[in-house]
Amino acid sequence: MHQRLKQILQKADADYADIRYEIKKNIFITLNGKELSNIGSTTTDGYVIRILKNGGFTSVAFTKETDAEKALKTAEENAELIGNTIEKPVKIAEVPVIKDTFIPELKEDPRKIPIEEKLSLLRHYNDIPLSHEKVAMTNMRYFEVTREKYFLSSEGTEIHEDLITTGIGGGITSKDGNLVQNVRIGAGGSDGFYTLRDLDGKFEERTKIVIDLLKAEPVKAGSYNCILNQGLAGVFAHEAFGHFSEADIVESLPAMRKKMQIGNKLGSDVLSITDNATLPNQLGFYKYDDEGVAVRKVNLLRNGVLTGRLHSRRTAEEFDEPISGHCVAEDFRYAPIIRMGTIFIEPQEKTLEQLMAELVDGLYILDPKGGQTSGENFTFGAQYGYLVKNGKKDRMIRDINISGNLYKTLMDITAVGNDLKLGKTGGCGKGQTNIRSCHGAPHILVKNVVIGGV
Amino acid sequence: MEKLLEMAKKVCDQAEIYYNEPNSSEVLFQKGELHDIESQFQSGIALRIIKDGKLGFSYTKNLIDREEFLQNALDSLKGGVKAGYSFPLTKELPQFNTYDPHVEKVTSVEMVDHCQGMADVIMEETDAELEIAGYKETRTIRIMNTNGTDLQNISGSNGYWVNLIYPGGGAGLSRIFEEKKPFTVSKKDIAELIELYNSSSKVIDITSDKMQVLFMPGCMYTFLWRLLSGTSAKSIFENISPIKEDIGKKIMSDMISFYDDPHDDSVPGARSFDDEGVRTRKFSIIEKGVLKNFFYDLNYAKKLNAESTGHGYRSSMWGGDPITMTPTPSLRHPRIEIGDKSFEELVSMMDTGIILDGAMGAHSGNIPNGDYSVGVSPGLYVENGEIIGRVKDVMVAGNVYDTLKKVIAVENKLHTCWGGRMPAILCENISVSSK
Repeated sequence: MHQRLKQILQKADADYADIRYEIKKNIFITLNGKELSNIGSTTTDGYVIRILKNGGFTSVAFTKETDAEKALKTAEENAELIGNTIEKPVKIAEVPVIKDTFIPELKEDPRKIPIEEKLSLLRHYNDIPLSHEKVAMTNMRYFEVTREKYFLSSEGTEIHEDLITTGIGGGITSKDGNLVQNVRIGAGGSDGFYTLRDLDGKFEERTKIVIDLLKAEPVKAGSYNCILNQGLAGVFAHEAFGHFSEADIVESLPAMRKKMQIGNKLGSDVLSITDNATLPNQLGFYKYDDEGVAVRKVNLLRNGVLTGRLHSRRTAEEFDEPISGHCVAEDFRYAPIIRMGTIFIEPQEKTLEQLMAELVDGLYILDPKGGQTSGENFTFGAQYGYLVKNGKKDRMIRDINISGNLYKTLMDITAVGNDLKLGKTGGCGKGQTNIRSCHGAPHILVKNVVIGGV
Repeated sequence: MEKLLEMAKKVCDQAEIYYNEPNSSEVLFQKGELHDIESQFQSGIALRIIKDGKLGFSYTKNLIDREEFLQNALDSLKGGVKAGYSFPLTKELPQFNTYDPHVEKVTSVEMVDHCQGMADVIMEETDAELEIAGYKETRTIRIMNTNGTDLQNISGSNGYWVNLIYPGGGAGLSRIFEEKKPFTVSKKDIAELIELYNSSSKVIDITSDKMQVLFMPGCMYTFLWRLLSGTSAKSIFENISPIKEDIGKKIMSDMISFYDDPHDDSVPGARSFDDEGVRTRKFSIIEKGVLKNFFYDLNYAKKLNAESTGHGYRSSMWGGDPITMTPTPSLRHPRIEIGDKSFEELVSMMDTGIILDGAMGAHSGNIPNGDYSVGVSPGLYVENGEIIGRVKDVMVAGNVYDTLKKVIAVENKLHTCWGGRMPAILCENISVSSK
């Protein structure tokens, strides 16, 4: 394969060029309620060429090998146009030349399990919520994505890495009269099919929550002190803080870049945040990014002080900071952009009970339901929660959406628990979807959280 | 493709081929300076087959081996996905003017020059952290099936997206300008955006209250997702729509009419057929507040003993590659009927309230139930009919079926926005929460 790519790349008239060819295999099963609505397996492939020429850096994605010359020509023209237009020529950080093949070790290779077995397992789990009369609908899917990636650069790097991601995920909807409630469920990972075994308990637990939600009270809009559970605190680490550790985002926002200088005190003393995609057996694991750079652990925040950032080769040079290996694409349709790998809040000493006692009165809110950031502001939903009175869990609440300001919230995190948990399903939609986006945290206590209510 | 269809015909009862070829270029400006240019030449084919009432499906980017491709679809029959419907025979469709060949000739240099021109003006007159994107796209779609349908649509668009970000906040005032032929954004449109930005630069603290909210086109997808969930045949079949039993009933203000207009070829993307080859038409969903229709694709029409309304599209809430998806009920050309007030008149009608120019977190919350709870991104603050600044860390929340009962007035103009073409809608007594 690398030989074929070399033949394409050697025609490039550029200061630097790379090409990535990917074969992507998808296996998908979807159940809507009892009904199977989609099942199959399929293979697609395509190329991305990147060119650095005369100080301009650009990319072209294409699917037909016969378009390779056209793609090269377009990329060269666009690079020259950028180079002629911008004042400061683009440079990319120097990196070691790598020649490597990395095929991950899997516990139970999902590719060796017949699709019939996958379907029967999905049906088994799906039947758990459906056996309850108050459950109106389920949408459950099995997915298996294999990315077989070949990367070649004009500097001599040649990498072949495979990424195999499996998961079961979906939603459970309950209904009582006109009231509709839903919760999400997800499991999976990067290291084999075993992550999808023995999930009955989890499905039973989620079913109970969605039924209980029919009797929960809508939360009243206002400002509360809150404990966020691990899933929700992980989304905070990802949405509110993590995206501003991505150099391509802060680069475009000068006022934000000024605040996000390495060494600035941004958060409370109890808060440390790390990205570590080298952690084995986690959803976020990979060895090389889509620029052919080995990923490394990055200490992003230590005791509230900004200590690191996630980079591509271009931004590492622009910021004059160390390369980190975080430039990742969804698949062959896209040039890579900076993405988090496995981001998490570092655990401290406190138990959940101690956090509850510290909270006294407020809310205990759990599990994410989508989030979004816009500059220093963020919004995300919680699937359910409880009022906390006098340090004790009280009535269940629903319709919880929180909003906040990154800097205020980083300072308002007053206590961090000892029970770190990393997510099993990801999905981040920064222009492209990253199904390997992994985040986690222990329980955290946050003051003055704005809740939208309904 | 013809050969593939012939091969499929021999081994199954019905077959359908969907071909999609998008070609695009985008230039991106950050901080008022050219940042990136990206191009894509993509194509792909999806195959659906029906045999003994079961559905088979496969897709590929490169049709190298027809036999293997067909075999993938045949293999997926084993799963047993039911298909009680037939692919349609559709012929003699109205012709729309969807493609201007000049779009393909728009060069990156021309788009860069125009973006630079806009950037120079905006940077001169504001302190915004400016993002601009210019793009052109042509797309060919072809649908063939074994019942004799062979339809093709070529469409083109040229567009600019301008986002004036308030320094530090990240929230920005953004607008989409899009046409099916090459064009430049008018100086008047840019001047209006600059004026709106400069009038809202001051940050104002407010307390939580119920107040008037002017929902702008840029946040309208918050309502759209909930209305689509409520009126899709899929939700009706799954029994999760709160308005399932409400056909013929008045469910919102008589100022709200919600419809699909695939035949409007004054804007890009008009379609005479959906992604299943079913004929489309202008289609009313809510008329003067009364729920008129749900929308169907072939699959859910069959399940609900109805006819497809021409709404089978290969798309999802998040976009995605059409060939990788099977059709589901979806609206591609949603509109809300315009009212009789200009934007300036709507603002002058407000006593105290928020102009919700963009929403954050529209995908969170209980979408089937119609609930929304979004961060302002940004939210402009109005007092006594005048914009006096903007609010931060504020959420606007409600239920779409309740909010759209509280309409005071609707704007007299449609704007291209994420998801469709919409006017601004002024509502009263909406929950706004703050620290």
